[in-house]
Amino acid sequence: MTGGLQRAASTVLLVVVSFLLTALILWVSGYRVGTVLSGIIQGSITATGAATSTIRWTIPLLLIGLGVVIGFRAGFFNIGGQGQFYVGACSALVVSLGWREGPVPLVIMCGMIAAILAGMAWSLLPGYLRVQFGTDEVLTTLMMSFIGALVLQYLTAGPLRNPSGTGQTAASERIPEAFRITDSSGVSVTALLLVGGVAVLVWLLLERTRFGLTMTLVGRNPTMARWQGIDVRRVGLGTFALSGALSGLAGAVELYGPGARLVTGFSPEVGFTAVVVALVGMLSVWGTVVAAVFFGGLQSAILFLPIVTDLPPPALVLLHGMVAFLVTIKFRAVRRRRGGLAAKPVAG
Amino acid sequence: MTVPSGPASAEVPAVRCRSLGVSFGTVQALHDISLDLAAGRIHALVGQNGAGKTTLANVLGGLQAPDNGTVCIAGNQIPSGDVRAAKSAGLAMVHQHFSLPPSFTVAEALELTAARPESHSVYRRTELYRRWQNDVAEVGGTNVLATRIRDLPVETRQSLEIVRALASEARILLLDEPTALLTPAATDTLFERLRGLRDDGVTILIVLHKLREVAAVADTVSVLRDGKLVLGPSEISGVSQGQLSDAIVGPAPDTDRAIAVEAATDVEQQLLLELVRVSSRESAFEPGLASIDLTVEAREIVGIAGVEGNGQRSLVSVIAGLSAVTEGSVLLGGEEVTRAPPARRRLRGLRLVPFDRNSEGISRSAPLWLNQSALRLIGRRGQFPLISLRQYKRQASEAMDLWRVRYNTVAQPAESLSGGNVQRLVLSRELASGLEVLVAAQPTRGLDFSATNFVRSSLRGLRDAGAGVLLVSSDLDELFELSDRLLVMYGGGIVARFNAPFDRQAVGDAMTGALR
Repeated sequence: MTGGLQRAASTVLLVVVSFLLTALILWVSGYRVGTVLSGIIQGSITATGAATSTIRWTIPLLLIGLGVVIGFRAGFFNIGGQGQFYVGACSALVVSLGWREGPVPLVIMCGMIAAILAGMAWSLLPGYLRVQFGTDEVLTTLMMSFIGALVLQYLTAGPLRNPSGTGQTAASERIPEAFRITDSSGVSVTALLLVGGVAVLVWLLLERTRFGLTMTLVGRNPTMARWQGIDVRRVGLGTFALSGALSGLAGAVELYGPGARLVTGFSPEVGFTAVVVALVGMLSVWGTVVAAVFFGGLQSAILFLPIVTDLPPPALVLLHGMVAFLVTIKFRAVRRRRGGLAAKPVAG
Repeated sequence: MTVPSGPASAEVPAVRCRSLGVSFGTVQALHDISLDLAAGRIHALVGQNGAGKTTLANVLGGLQAPDNGTVCIAGNQIPSGDVRAAKSAGLAMVHQHFSLPPSFTVAEALELTAARPESHSVYRRTELYRRWQNDVAEVGGTNVLATRIRDLPVETRQSLEIVRALASEARILLLDEPTALLTPAATDTLFERLRGLRDDGVTILIVLHKLREVAAVADTVSVLRDGKLVLGPSEISGVSQGQLSDAIVGPAPDTDRAIAVEAATDVEQQLLLELVRVSSRESAFEPGLASIDLTVEAREIVGIAGVEGNGQRSLVSVIAGLSAVTEGSVLLGGEEVTRAPPARRRLRGLRLVPFDRNSEGISRSAPLWLNQSALRLIGRRGQFPLISLRQYKRQASEAMDLWRVRYNTVAQPAESLSGGNVQRLVLSRELASGLEVLVAAQPTRGLDFSATNFVRSSLRGLRDAGAGVLLVSSDLDELFELSDRLLVMYGGGIVARFNAPFDRQAVGDAMTGALR
């Protein structure tokens, strides 16, 4: 257990270092670091509605981040959460607009299932390419993500465009208010129960089922898994499906929650930030929960900051990048160290 | 022997080291080694796995910097861990694992590793062939120059490694377990070659595993045990095999009794594994199977002999269900499993000890309990989805305790175990329950004496308990000792079948395809 604590401590340290480096860059660029820091704290915790906003952003980050954790468990790096999130939201939107008169719980259920299936499909295509042909899933999931964004753009600017909309960006019609599970704050008991339930289910799946253990073995050594009679291809496809399903579900929650309609390019960072969330969460379920809250707070602060300083919002995205950068280095270094030890000749 | 010629005189030892010490973390790999190797002789270095033989060879060759101590080659002190200095002092190494790049032609590979490459960096092929034609005269002549390394038979690759070493005009040759992959006939050829080199004045240090080989080739012998030099260098004539064996194993008698293994065979079933005219596609490294017929019955160990790379891997992976059968059928316990997935075969009682235990047998980074539980994960459809980790861990620790795996906690990664303990872990999993037929591929490779004996007695126990065992090994002594029947693979087919008692020469001939 001390090993776990140590790893957690070193991850926290990384985040602190990222903060310091970002602060340094801001300071050199002539911003007042103190103001920015207090802005972050106000924007994520203390300002009116800030804490709610933090939780609102935690929800999609957590759902997509858990998808990344699932992928990683079996050795796959699904970074296409953004696209899976978009097609999930689109599918839920199509169901909801197409069946406006339907019984509310049933429509929401169907919308969520449609979102899950769409996310799965978006993830399964790269997954199939990976297990069948060995195509690098980092590339294919990323490319699929762009396609997903274009699907969203097509739908919101084309067939599902709100004809009475006047905004500069294309947006869809709103779904009926009755279908929403939260108000525009994006936080409600239903949403929290849903996300919490998903987190518990994912934990049970990964840590307390044979399939979860099988995924771990496949992720650590597929050759050995194959010799043990494990169908590595099926485990791989299952992993991709589950991973995409969570991102798709996140899209539906976004629509039925704070969104109510879809806007071209909404929440543009969330799928990619979720990858960082999973890495900072040390690819464990509960670690990812903590990391999602942290990054949810940052996301909330990014939106709040323009109110108190003239700092452009992308400046804080710098912090995400910094954390991602350092976490990746740490990941590599740990692997290298392990490999180095193993490679050292001890036999005579 | 003839009078040594060349620069090394009989007075100055070819290699002298003083107080060498090397440690890896907490492991003391070499401890205060002082050694003189006289010029123009063949010196054997023996010891168990982990005794420090490879480390010592690496230190002498400049590949490993010692923590303390000095190395002198032909009277000149070599800066610590300096490969170039060792090379230019006339020392060349032939490694345990082949070092020539498999995708290169022989001429390219030799040019790559040459001590003095020509000054220009653009070559013409014919020019390369001309330059190296004399060097390869002994290994098959100029025809071999255009062949890619990977297409050569094992013994030719071994010879080429020596050609490479000698191309640098080495006067001292270090060979690290050169016979590990060779047939008895190829080993004899190698030894003949080494004697010729010695007679030309080359000093040779050869790391060996088998006492028979030491007696066959060495002038002197030294024994390492636990990183210490416990014997020698002594004239081979002055040491008995018994003394050597005692020095290698050490004083503490190993009381590793065999484990009572249980097999799940019901007595009626006799034919446990059957291959009927099975063929398969060739892989990158091996010929495919060529119409193989094979049976394994209850209560027998069937040995598969053969030079490595003659289809043994194809055979095992066809039985395991990891590579496809193009023709013929595979039956397990009378049930046709030709197209069945690996899991189905596992459930049917097939157990496997794979060739490479570290990559195929275990997951190095996964915890011990998960490695041990792997077989519990397959084929359990329709059961309650949630499992009790505590139960899994308890079962794993019980099994590992039974097999006397040395570990601290079930949560430690498998890579923290030594080779022998890894094999115990594999056996504790594969032999735990439901076993009807075991396919054991090189189960004792790289293990020390006591671990080897342990594995062998386990296989025997398995047979006596009623199971069938298919034993694939490149250790003829092991095959002769354990097998009830012996089949020899050559070029993907079974070319000879023997019953005990076995004729070493006849088996060797079949392995090499020799005609007498």
